Amino acid sequence: MPCDDRISRRQMIKRLAAGAPVALLVTVFPRLAFGGDRKPGEKRPLYAYAVDVSRCIGCCACMRACRAENDVPAGFFRTWVERFRVRGNGEVLVDVAATDGFVFKAAPDEDIVKAFFVPKLCNHCEKSVCSQVCPVGASYESPEGVVLVDKKHCVGCGYCVQACPYGTRFIDPVSHTAGKCTLCYHRIVRGELPACVLACPKGARMFGDLHDPKSHLSIFLRQRRYRVLKPEMGTHPKCYYTDLDLEVI
Amino acid sequence: MTILNASNEVGAVRPDYRHAYPLLIAVVLGVTAALFVRHSLVPKSFGRYGFYRADALDDEKARLSRHAGRAACAECHEDVAALHARDAHGSVECETCHGVGDKHIKDNDAPMARADAKDDCLVCHGLLDARPGSFPQVDWRQHYRFVGVKDNATACVRCHSGHEPLYLEQDLRKARLHPLIQECASCHIGRTDRTLKKPDAHPQIFQCDYCHHDLAKSFARGAHAELRCTTCHLFVKENAFSGRIVRNTNPRFCLLCHRKADFKSESGPPTIEWPGHIKDVSNDALDPKRPCVTCHQAQIHELYRKDAQHAM
Repeated sequence: MPCDDRISRRQMIKRLAAGAPVALLVTVFPRLAFGGDRKPGEKRPLYAYAVDVSRCIGCCACMRACRAENDVPAGFFRTWVERFRVRGNGEVLVDVAATDGFVFKAAPDEDIVKAFFVPKLCNHCEKSVCSQVCPVGASYESPEGVVLVDKKHCVGCGYCVQACPYGTRFIDPVSHTAGKCTLCYHRIVRGELPACVLACPKGARMFGDLHDPKSHLSIFLRQRRYRVLKPEMGTHPKCYYTDLDLEVI
Repeated sequence: MTILNASNEVGAVRPDYRHAYPLLIAVVLGVTAALFVRHSLVPKSFGRYGFYRADALDDEKARLSRHAGRAACAECHEDVAALHARDAHGSVECETCHGVGDKHIKDNDAPMARADAKDDCLVCHGLLDARPGSFPQVDWRQHYRFVGVKDNATACVRCHSGHEPLYLEQDLRKARLHPLIQECASCHIGRTDRTLKKPDAHPQIFQCDYCHHDLAKSFARGAHAELRCTTCHLFVKENAFSGRIVRNTNPRFCLLCHRKADFKSESGPPTIEWPGHIKDVSNDALDPKRPCVTCHQAQIHELYRKDAQHAM
C-alpha cells in the first residue's frame, strides 16, 4: 500500500489548529512578533499639520525656507504653493510658483472671479501608500506619525513616487533616493517648528501634536471646519485644510 | 481508522523515507543559509518599531537646524528686534529676508543676506489677484507715479524701512479692536475703480462711512480724498468678524509721502525738507517727534477745518 502513511482528517485539523496562532501572530500582528519597544502607558506625540488657505498670501517664504533648511535640489520641491484662478465660465487655471514666488503682473486678468493660493506638502497619511509599496522598507512612518525615507536603505526604484496620490515625492538627482517632506523631523524632535511653519508670515501653516489637547493645532482643529485632500483615496491624511474650495480636492 | 489498522497488521511493509533524506538536508541547509544571510544583511534595528530600520530615525535626528528663529537673533540685536516686533512686519521672521542664521550665530563675522531690492519686497507685496484683499499689496508702477518717484529702479527701502515699514506708533497686536472693515479692495484686487457700478446681487459690505459718515464725507472733499481711510487708520483683519485698528500720527509715517528726496519729482504730493521744516515754520524748538497733525489736522479732515475756522 503506497499511501498508507497518510494522516487522518482529524490529525490534519488538529495540526492546522496548532499552527494557526503562530501564523496569525506573524501575519496579523507583526509588531508583537517582531517586538516593539513601546512601554505600556508611554504617550508619544502624534504630529500633524494644518493649512488655513484663507490666510495664505502666496509669498512662498515657506518654499524658500524649506530649500534653505533641507538642501532641496533645484527644480524639486518638498512643499510648494499652487495658485488657483477660476474664470467666469468655470474654467480653472492652476499654476505653481517658482521658488522666488509668483510673478507680478502689471494688469490683472479681468475675467477672474475667484482666486486663491493653496500650499501643499506631504500629507503624512496615517495609512501611507508610499510606505506600503516600498519593497525594501525604506519608506516608513515614524512612531510620531511622520512619514520618512531611510536614505541609506532606499534603492531609488521610484515606486513610492508613483504611489503617492498627492505627488509629494521625487527622486533626488544627487543621492538617487526618494526625497520628500520630513516635517523637519530634526527640528520638531528638538521642540522647534518646521522651517515652513516658522517662515510663514501670516500663520497660514500650523503644526502641532494631536495627542496634546492644548497644542495650537488641536485648538485650531476644534474651532474650525476642516477637510483633507483626496479623502476617497482612504489614506487618512494628517494635513488638514480649512477654507478649501472644491476645485482643489 | 481503517488506514491505521492496516499499518498495524503483521507483515505490513514500513514506508521507506531514505529517498527524502537528501532533500531534507538540502532544505535544512538552505533555510540555515537563508537565515544567516538574512541576519547579516538585515540591519539590527530593523523591525524595532515596524517594517523599517529604527536607526534611520537617529540619522534624521542628527541633522542640525539651520533656521535659528527670531529669539536667537534678538539675543544680540535686541534693539532692532524690538522695533521690528511692534510694526507691520512683526509676524515676519528675521530669516525670511536675511537668510538662515546658523553660520552667523557660530561665527559673527559670517555675513547675512539683505533682501532689500524692490523685487524682494514685491514677492510678498506685489499685486496678485489670488492674494487676500486684506493683505497690503501694491501695483508698484501706479504707486511710484502717485508718490512721484522718478526712477523705476528705486528700492522700496528708500522710504519704507524693512523693520518698520509704516512707522507705527502703537503695537499692532495690542491696538484697539474694531469690527471688520470691508472696502471694495478687500475683495476686488486690482479693480478698485470707484466708478464701477455695484451689481444688484452684490453682498452687503461694511464700510467706514456707514458709521463715520460725517468724517468720511468731509474727508472726501479734502486734500487727501484720493486715499482710503485705512491708509492712515491702519486696519489689520484678525478673523472673519474683527481686526485691530491703529491711527498712525507718527511724523515719519506722513513723511513717507511728503519728505523731499532726490529720487522724487515735483509731480507727487507736496514735499518738505525734514527736519528743517520745523525750523522754517516756527521759531520755537518744536519736538521733531510731535505729530504733523498738531498743525495740519485741518488738511486731513475738512470737518476739523470748518471747526477751526469757526473757532477763529
